[in-house]
Amino acid sequence: MIDIRPMLESDVPGVLAIERASFPDPWTEGLFRDELGREDRIWKVALEDGRLAGYGGVMIVDVEAHLMDVAVAPEARGRGIGRALLWELAADAVAAGALRMTLEVASSNETALRFYRSAGFDVAGRRPAYYPSGDDALLLWSRPLAPHVSAKRVALKRRDLILAIESSCDETAASVMRGGREELSSVVASQVDFHARFGGVVPEIASRKHTEAIVGVVDQALETAGVTFADLDAIAVTAGPGLVGALVVGLAYAKGVACSTGLPLIGVNHLEGHIYAARLLDPDLEPPLVALLVSGGHTMLVSVPEWGRYEVLGGTLDDAAGEAFDKVAKLLGLGYPGGPVISRLAAEGDPKAIPFPRPMLRTDDLDVSLSGLKTAVIQYVERERREGRELRLNDIAASFQAAVTEVQVAKTLKAVRAHDAKAVVLAGGVAANPVLRGSLRSALATEGVALSVPPLELCTDNASMIAAAAHDALRAGRFLGLDADANPAMRLGRGA
Amino acid sequence: MGDTFTTQSVGETERAGRLLARHLQAGDVIALAGDLGAGKTHLVQGVAGGLGVEGAVTSPTFNILLVHAGSLPLYHLDLYRLDDPAQLEDIDFYATLEGDGVSLIEWGDRFPDELPADHLLVEISRLGETARGFRLTPGGPRSAVLAAAWSRSMREGAAR
Repeated sequence: MIDIRPMLESDVPGVLAIERASFPDPWTEGLFRDELGREDRIWKVALEDGRLAGYGGVMIVDVEAHLMDVAVAPEARGRGIGRALLWELAADAVAAGALRMTLEVASSNETALRFYRSAGFDVAGRRPAYYPSGDDALLLWSRPLAPHVSAKRVALKRRDLILAIESSCDETAASVMRGGREELSSVVASQVDFHARFGGVVPEIASRKHTEAIVGVVDQALETAGVTFADLDAIAVTAGPGLVGALVVGLAYAKGVACSTGLPLIGVNHLEGHIYAARLLDPDLEPPLVALLVSGGHTMLVSVPEWGRYEVLGGTLDDAAGEAFDKVAKLLGLGYPGGPVISRLAAEGDPKAIPFPRPMLRTDDLDVSLSGLKTAVIQYVERERREGRELRLNDIAASFQAAVTEVQVAKTLKAVRAHDAKAVVLAGGVAANPVLRGSLRSALATEGVALSVPPLELCTDNASMIAAAAHDALRAGRFLGLDADANPAMRLGRGA
Repeated sequence: MGDTFTTQSVGETERAGRLLARHLQAGDVIALAGDLGAGKTHLVQGVAGGLGVEGAVTSPTFNILLVHAGSLPLYHLDLYRLDDPAQLEDIDFYATLEGDGVSLIEWGDRFPDELPADHLLVEISRLGETARGFRLTPGGPRSAVLAAAWSRSMREGAAR
């Protein structure tokens, strides 16, 4: 339980201890006591279960709030206390007439820089050799404070209205959502037809199609929801991972809207969105969870100890699951995409007909490898052809699918046991595979663990899942600045 | 014409990649040819290991181009899904090859006319369940030096 209140004289000894543990050239006791007497200052402390855990202060200069100090006790870091303090100070600064907040950070202090960037601050300048150590100071500015403070406040009451935009791959999508769970609209413009003849997504085509589609998709999302930009509390956008040329279209559009309206901008990790898709289906879904993300570009197991925190437990060492389906389908002359056609054939085949290998089934880690399985299928097909036998496509499809499924299920079970998960989220395009769903569900049932599989329209890319994740980010005070870049290789648990 | 060598396992193929990495320099272009399952990605994984790339080097089929930071930038391309050289412009192919790193191109024999003349073609064939044959065909002076250095390393490695 975190409680934030104004700093008192009696807090100073505890504050000093944290200050000294946090900075190479700490403030002195005299400086703190002097600050507390001044009218144009706002100083606050954070108490965690009654213990002093952090503090921060701003100086109000006309319409600017100068952030002077924020520090959290070493043992209390990583739990959002600094962020909570920052936004409490911002709320008081707004009440005192401040429009924006500014501060200096040592250019070598990457942790602080990451923290302020994740609160939506942009780097606006540099003061060379500003610190006694010789370090440069970076000059950071917030975006307009009031919209951020009020959006965060309504989000805590679950009444926030977020427009989310997703353009990481081949769907241009926009959604309007209230309170992170109530979908007012969800529009998806698919490019699948344009890419089908290439057997997959071609990055530059994707980028062009996003550019053509995005304005219309957003307009339709707003219209269906019956709202305008003026009604919104925040704009959310997928910042990565994905195709860089596709991501930048959504990000540039979202930044443009944020810049012209002053609305807060929230960046969401696409993979995080896939996990949140499960919460749209099942609003009561609660961590600890394990998520199995399987798609054409990703195959990974993720531990979610609480909403917004992720640990990647393992993943493919080579081919993604969807890619393996596509390549085997191509080998068998079945066309693209491979998943649906293989699962249709497999339904008529014998999964035990061909003993394809189960790579890494018995390894202790949570990684998988699919390229060896793919090679085994190739070798089988060549042997059959060489010996003049007709290919039993149904049996090949069923046996291949069984091998993929068995390894995924085994690794997921291992992750569930290791992390004491109460539920498993199956997400990504390959979650549409009925055998994977069924096998995972029955394996988990024996462990008393629920399986949450979003419906197909939520398993494939959409913007509602981005809005759902953005709601939690907004409640926590996580924002993007306007100089944020798309991150095509963004990882879960970092930089999200 | 051209050097040849064989590997007996996935591990040996990756080791061949690590040996290749020792001789690479910025601007090198290597076209990898061979059917599905030949071991193209495994070879690139070995190169990545040799260049000190951290993290998994997975198949670039989906993204077409994946960039890895190592002692040299590693551009890992995959032309599997492209069927028209005009699409190369779309993926910034030419600028990537002229860049500050090494380019390894899976299905790199797809559009031979689009590659710089001085590239090293590596054709991988499946000789058995895990055995693979490698044929190196340099297209110019730099790739000839590279091919010679790599196959010498492979011979020395085999002799040890």
